[in-house]
Amino acid sequence: MIKLFWQRLAVFQRAEFLSARDLLQRAMAISVLFLAAHLAGLHAFTSVLNGTVGSLVVEVKLGTFLAAVYIILYLAFVILVPVLVLAAVILMVGQRCVRTKGNSPVTPRHKILKT
Amino acid sequence: MKSRMKRIVAGLLALMIAALIWLPCLHLVFARPLSDFRQDPGLSPKARQLAARHLELWTDPVLREQELKKMRASNAEWDFMGRSYLVWSLANMCLRDPVSKPLYLQTMDQIIDETLRLEKEQGMYFFLMGYAKERHYLRQPAQSLFLDSEIALMLASRRMVEEKPEYKPLLTERVNAMVGRFQKNPGMLLESYPDECWMFDHCVALDAIKMADYLDGSNHSALIHDWLAMAKQKLVDRESGLLISSFTTDGVPLDGPEGSTIWMVAHSLQLLDEDFARDQYQRARKELGAITLGFGYAHEWPKSWKGQADVDSGPIIPGFEISAGSSGMAFIGASTFDDGKFLTSLATTLDFAGFPSRTRGRLKYCASNQVGDAALLYATTLGPLWQKVKTGVKP
Repeated sequence: MIKLFWQRLAVFQRAEFLSARDLLQRAMAISVLFLAAHLAGLHAFTSVLNGTVGSLVVEVKLGTFLAAVYIILYLAFVILVPVLVLAAVILMVGQRCVRTKGNSPVTPRHKILKT
Repeated sequence: MKSRMKRIVAGLLALMIAALIWLPCLHLVFARPLSDFRQDPGLSPKARQLAARHLELWTDPVLREQELKKMRASNAEWDFMGRSYLVWSLANMCLRDPVSKPLYLQTMDQIIDETLRLEKEQGMYFFLMGYAKERHYLRQPAQSLFLDSEIALMLASRRMVEEKPEYKPLLTERVNAMVGRFQKNPGMLLESYPDECWMFDHCVALDAIKMADYLDGSNHSALIHDWLAMAKQKLVDRESGLLISSFTTDGVPLDGPEGSTIWMVAHSLQLLDEDFARDQYQRARKELGAITLGFGYAHEWPKSWKGQADVDSGPIIPGFEISAGSSGMAFIGASTFDDGKFLTSLATTLDFAGFPSRTRGRLKYCASNQVGDAALLYATTLGPLWQKVKTGVKP
């Protein structure tokens, strides 16, 4: 029942690779992961960038790992997410243009010949 | 199959176009007007927020203990330099924001007194990196110009804002000790670590001596002149024309020109020799400074010099060869020489990659630490103190 509910939501339906929906789903996944990392306070560990430990409680290796996770998710969020969203918009606009072009009322050649 | 290939090609093409649109625009998300970072006259919003965070550290001993422990775990020098940069910043802030002067002066005195107490109780090695104990200083008794120069400049900066009689003999003693060592050493090169001398420390020492001359009517202009003449002749890297960072007491180079040193050196030189300072800044800007897609940053070494990443350079980001240490100190250089374009682009990078964290009007950069934030605060406030010495207006 629950599975059916999620499947009905278009955004969670499995999309074709590199389709507009696929790009948007990836953008959303990255955003959710980044938000979770940020709310978990992982940004405090980024002081490893200057060689300072982020926390005196957590082991240095774990702190460095958490910093790396946060930095990767942050860069993905600020660089990749807008690119994915923009690409999705470009694809949608492109598809709409193609569709409009396909449906345009062009006079068939045989009709021109008849007249 | 054909339609799948078509879709993939279209997707990749869309991603490429999107990247071409987004990447040149990315900096606009983080770019702020220059006045957000630095204002003349007065204090910029960023200066106030950074200062609020530092003042909190000096009123909350638990918080301060935590911050200092984190830094000391990596480098004891940072604990000391964080104090120096904060005192120098607060001195400039007193001149920029006279209404808050009592609070700033109180904090400056607290920092200076605690630093002097720690130096007295724990000895000079407390603020030095571990390797200082591995060898003997060539000149005995052992003294570090690193400590003497910055403490002297802290005392002088405090007295520049408002005279404090207790600090007058302390400054005189520190300055006389440094001058005495300069005069005894024919090469005029003093150790910060055993047989290891730093350009940074020499320039800060000469600034302190110049300020002491201003405050107490002494005259060491000949010493300053001779030292600068020697440095121009012996301590300049031939390829880049930049002053080298560290050398032995015989003047043999240890490190070449480095971004983590030269930006502050150019700032310090401004008080001693304006033309030479500007020349050094312009060379550093050309050799080390860079702006890519609106983001400013700095390299640690010029192209002509190969160096190893160390505690001063911080991690080097490969590809762009970005040095955290050099980029942080570049703020001081750009601010000193009113290089608005570079300063704005550096501030853009800071907000992009520094992970700013604001709570109740207090700002800290998570990717930085207390000393890094104090150096940034200095970049937002510097100017009035140097100006006061240069124009000769007595306190």
